[in-house]
Amino acid sequence: MENLLHVGKNVPRTAEIDKVTGHAVYIDEYKRPGMLYGKILYSQYAHARIKSINTEKAKKLPGVRAVITGYDIPDVRVGFLGDQTVLKRDIVRQFRDEVAAVAAITPEIAEDALKLIEVEYEPLPAIFDPIEAMKPDAALVHETDARGRPLRSNILPLPWKFSAGDVDKAREESTYVVKHDVTTPWINQCCMGTSGCVAEFDSNNNLTYCAQTNVIFGAKQRIATYLRNIGLKGKKIRVLNPVVGGSFGTKLDTDIYEFICIQLALKTRKPVKIRFTREEEFAALPPRQASRFTIEQGCDKEGKLTFRKVDAILDNGAYTSWGATTPSVMMLPISSMYRVPNVSFQATCVYTNNIYSQAMRGYGNPQAAFAVETSMDLLAEKAGIDPAEFRLINRNHPGDVTPMGLKITTCPLEECINTVKEKIKWDEKRGKKNGRGVGMASLIHVAGGARVYLSDGTGIRIKVNEDGEVDVLSGSTDQGQGSPTVIAQIIAEATGFRPEDVNIVFGDTALGLWDAGTHASRHTFVAGNAAVRAGELIKRQILELAVQHIPKLVKRSLKQQQKKNPDFVPPELDYTLIDSPDKLELKDRMIYPREAPDHPYFKTEVGKILTSGLHVGVGESKAVAAEVFWDPPTQMLNAEMKGNYSCTYAFGTAGVEVEVDKQTGEVKILKLVSAHDVGRAINPTLVKGQIYGAAYIGIGYGLTERVQVVDGKVVNANFRDYKILTANDNIPVEAVIIEDPDPAGPYGAKGIGEPGLVPTAPAIANAIYDAVGVWIKDLPITPEKVLAALKAQGQ
Amino acid sequence: MKAYDYHKPHTVKEAIDIMGGLENAKYIAGGTDVMVLLRQGKINPANLVSLRNVAEISRIDTQNGIRIGAGVTHTQIANNEFIREHYSALADGAGVVGSKQIRNVATIGGNICNAAPSADTACPLLVLDAEAVIAGKSGERQVPVDDFIVGPSQVALEKGELVTGFVIPAFGDRTGSAYIKHARRLAMDLPILGIAVRATVKIGGAQAACRDAFKLTDVSDIVKRLEAEGLVLEDVRVAMSVVAPRPVRARKAEEAAKGKTISEKVLEELGEIAASESKPRDSFRGEAWYRRDMVKVLTKRALLKSIERMTGASSMVAPSRLW
Amino acid sequence: MKKEITFTLNNEEVIVEVDPKWTLIHLLREVLELTGTKEGCGVGECGACTVIVDGEAVNSCLYPVMEVEGKTVATIEGVALPDGTLHPIQQAFIENNGVQCGYCTSGMIMSAKALLDKKSDPTEDEIRTGISGNICRCTGYVQIVESIQLAAERMKK
Ligand SMILES: Cc1cc2nc3c(=O)[nH]c(=O)nc-3n(C[C@H](O)[C@H](O)[C@H](O)COP(=O)(O)OP(=O)(O)OC[C@H]3O[C@@H](n4cnc5c(N)ncnc54)[C@H](O)[C@@H]3O)c2cc1C
Ligand code: FES
Ligand code: FES
Repeated sequence: MENLLHVGKNVPRTAEIDKVTGHAVYIDEYKRPGMLYGKILYSQYAHARIKSINTEKAKKLPGVRAVITGYDIPDVRVGFLGDQTVLKRDIVRQFRDEVAAVAAITPEIAEDALKLIEVEYEPLPAIFDPIEAMKPDAALVHETDARGRPLRSNILPLPWKFSAGDVDKAREESTYVVKHDVTTPWINQCCMGTSGCVAEFDSNNNLTYCAQTNVIFGAKQRIATYLRNIGLKGKKIRVLNPVVGGSFGTKLDTDIYEFICIQLALKTRKPVKIRFTREEEFAALPPRQASRFTIEQGCDKEGKLTFRKVDAILDNGAYTSWGATTPSVMMLPISSMYRVPNVSFQATCVYTNNIYSQAMRGYGNPQAAFAVETSMDLLAEKAGIDPAEFRLINRNHPGDVTPMGLKITTCPLEECINTVKEKIKWDEKRGKKNGRGVGMASLIHVAGGARVYLSDGTGIRIKVNEDGEVDVLSGSTDQGQGSPTVIAQIIAEATGFRPEDVNIVFGDTALGLWDAGTHASRHTFVAGNAAVRAGELIKRQILELAVQHIPKLVKRSLKQQQKKNPDFVPPELDYTLIDSPDKLELKDRMIYPREAPDHPYFKTEVGKILTSGLHVGVGESKAVAAEVFWDPPTQMLNAEMKGNYSCTYAFGTAGVEVEVDKQTGEVKILKLVSAHDVGRAINPTLVKGQIYGAAYIGIGYGLTERVQVVDGKVVNANFRDYKILTANDNIPVEAVIIEDPDPAGPYGAKGIGEPGLVPTAPAIANAIYDAVGVWIKDLPITPEKVLAALKAQGQ
Repeated sequence: MKAYDYHKPHTVKEAIDIMGGLENAKYIAGGTDVMVLLRQGKINPANLVSLRNVAEISRIDTQNGIRIGAGVTHTQIANNEFIREHYSALADGAGVVGSKQIRNVATIGGNICNAAPSADTACPLLVLDAEAVIAGKSGERQVPVDDFIVGPSQVALEKGELVTGFVIPAFGDRTGSAYIKHARRLAMDLPILGIAVRATVKIGGAQAACRDAFKLTDVSDIVKRLEAEGLVLEDVRVAMSVVAPRPVRARKAEEAAKGKTISEKVLEELGEIAASESKPRDSFRGEAWYRRDMVKVLTKRALLKSIERMTGASSMVAPSRLW
Repeated sequence: MKKEITFTLNNEEVIVEVDPKWTLIHLLREVLELTGTKEGCGVGECGACTVIVDGEAVNSCLYPVMEVEGKTVATIEGVALPDGTLHPIQQAFIENNGVQCGYCTSGMIMSAKALLDKKSDPTEDEIRTGISGNICRCTGYVQIVESIQLAAERMKK
């Protein structure tokens, strides 16, 4: 693995230069001739019957091209459980329910038209507390399921239940047991570029759909199903990505506004764009779901974990998107963070009239990690063991198979914990209870793909042009993480070209091979693996060409020299040095014999071989092109929620030093160290960027962020009231890269997109306890909560 | 958004004249409140009369106290050395409005005339006994800021009148002031609570001894030392924001402070009294009990910070100590 | 009710008809098609729309277009040299990962430029205050601050 020329280097993001010059084309800039602008009318109630909708005035407004309601489009169900329609015509079940939509020649006119739509509602009793909603006599959010069968409860028919070993027996045998509750809030992903899409049908009713999705083929499938259901069977669909202004989970599902856009385009026969305002982004886009956990853990005298029992209740909101599937990832820390033999986990998703939820960076892991990692500190204290030591005692080891069936391959958790201990000066600062304190938390996350669909694969196509450019067609997407640079480095390494030779096209279903999506921290790992394999094929093809062409070129050049200088005596050359591709190497654009790397005659610049050998001759000729579809050897979770669903797992530890102002309850983070197992950093600067960025979102999760929902309505739908940290909230973050190359990773790399977020909030909570002795188990940890807890303790 | 016409007078007189001839018109200065309200459809004027090009209200004059034009931006105030030194609370307040970009255009006149309960320069102006200078068709008049701010978005302006500036008296070198914005973030945030204090003191012992007191790290040690030096609170102002429909003075606390030698007990009492004068409400932005509690804590801190500044012990930058 | 205004935009004089109710960002993006300036909120809270007017960073979403008359406006499109050579701030963002999704980047670079144009040697705190009105969700600001520091160093030389 040594002697890597491009992997491991801080290659600049030159491929994305348009982002610093203002020329990048986001959905905001994506325009088509004759394009109209769509706007959506949302419900005025959390739960109500629609008595009438009158669109006549809106239709008459000059510049309006279409006004549609649920009565104007086929009544087709969409969504993960098919529990909603695109436009609601009988009942609205949440404030963001889409009731009508307008297409007009400008966004302003569309907005004005919305105000002219008259909707009469009859309010219905609404239910906002999932605990209330679970009660047998609770009013139902949905009377029937997707197929019209009556529902008897608000509890979703999603059996999130996991059990390994014997928890009850283990509890009895434990020396120490702790149990506590935690709650976590809704979190908005806060992409700086708001949601949007452009739908355009051609005269054959084939659809070109420009969208920010990070799962272009998944989106295509969902749209194909929808089109089929509304009577447009067999139409061709091309999904394209513009440059995407952040994703963080929002681009995983196909949202309702996207179907609305498609409907408006169909109705008007014009390209239609919908782009959310910031307020819509807060109020009408599904956030990370709110959750409650009860966690119980035990250990023996020596501090070895004996069991872990977790019950979770997720507020599903009125409909179902990916949020309801996050228990599949909550499973990760609950079953497999540290060695714990007996585990039970149950998650209940409950319909309410709140906003519904979807994915966000970490996908359930941050919520579960908050429960597990605060419980670890509580238990360590009860057992009288230092929390860092307690984690080391129970740490995972390479070769472990966890109760969930995860096969741990590489695992530098011990190094992560010890690094954090050292950098945060753990032993010196811990346990003072003087207003300052330190805390830590660790994580496990999928880092080698995640088999949530039947395929977790990615296809890559590479072609090399006669001018020495390497074109790559990827079925994946980029949301800003830097894939154009990282994948170029991998391909340069594998092919023997340079990163600047590589030109990658992302996000186009018409060009790329299938890809499961840029999610689950899987892109570098899975696409990288495909890229290495395709790159090696390319290299092989070029070396095969070289075997034919180097001798030709050398002989020709010798002849020329002889011609010029009749005294020239051509050397005796040993052509067996280059008579097989196996005997050749291609690196940094130079082809040379392995046995004689600096051979004065055989060492050849790759461009010469390409010009000499590519696309020449009549009849069948040579092209250098390869494609690889690679799917990691993993399993889908079975009915018991067991299975090795990722090829490898990433570990990491965050350590935090805080200062608590005991009079105001304010928490100041003096230092955050985030040490992460990345396998190998393909580009250390970019890896750090992922860790910093995720850690900052994690700090927001810990201290300041929450979507405030009052009686079903989002009341803080702007950046002044939704508190993302600013640059002034200077939090010294140190990102530490721990390298332990994973045999399955591309050049040893693991996924690192999500992990940085996961352990931050619990590390903060644990540090606050160390500083002032109060536990805040309800995120975010606001000054109010800290001060109230201090007062309750009489401090 | 409805269409509107945009007028750009260059003098106060011109502005008043234009305004006088228009229906449904509104002044706009930096526009950081007006443009937001327009976008949200909360106001629908047919005319905007811009004060941005009126040079005479964009100046800072430092004779006999200070006169700050209504059109002076928060950036100009926060960077003004004279204000930083003599009217520190105002520099504090202007320096924490919104963000750099907001401060670059937003004006003090707009901040006060918009009259938000959370306006960051309001409490500083209240404790500095500032008066608003108002110009109208019938000439100029001067009104204490305390009377000028009436309620949320309500000020004592007659039709067509505008504020040309604020005058603040000189306080001499035994006065210090401070404003503490208690917010969840350090930028781009509305305060959960804002507290401004001005303290004019009499020092029994040596000024140098008081200055040295601030070298101590423990707050109660500092107070004891000041007490030992016989530091008397001659005249104190306290103002609080977000605890009532408009920024208000804590007059009972001010009264109680008069003539008292500083001590932990006195500080404690002042905080308690100020808190009893506050009438905060629960909102999604913050809880009432917490705001009231913070009045206690921050009144003390702002008072100590004022005294610290008076002694010249620290630079304008708030020390990392708890105030 | 259109009116004509004249101003300097990225070193060129522009004469353009505007509607008084427009904001500067509307003129830039929708009329002049300089779409590097982004609208992330429209109400002054995110900084994606930051441009420089007469040397000061301002939110173009709050800037009445009528106030642009006679002023000098700089947008992200005018930051690189006409031959395409990147400004040191842009170069540093590319090298040091100051850009991820890039949506905040135009505004971030304009805030940084307004700062460095005034002060060649800012402290970290000054840099952070200089970009305090620019929200970034991707980077946690660390590498942005580093990029600005790197640019400042190079610009001094
Ligand atoms: C993102 C953002 C963050 C903000 N953060 C803060 C903050 O932290 N703290 C804070 O206090 N404020 C904040 N504000 C509010 C606003 O920036 C301030 O109130 C600012 O000082 C208003 O000044 P302006 O010049 O922009 O006023 P404008 O918007 O121009 O005017 C405001 C009001 O005052 C009137 N007016 C203005 N000048 C005069 C005058 N001379 N005579 C008579 N009437 C006049 C106008 O008619 C209007 O009613 C924020 C605003 C935004 C958009
Ligand atoms: S768009 Fe102007 S600040 Fe957000
Ligand atoms: S780079 Fe994405 S918001 Fe800053």
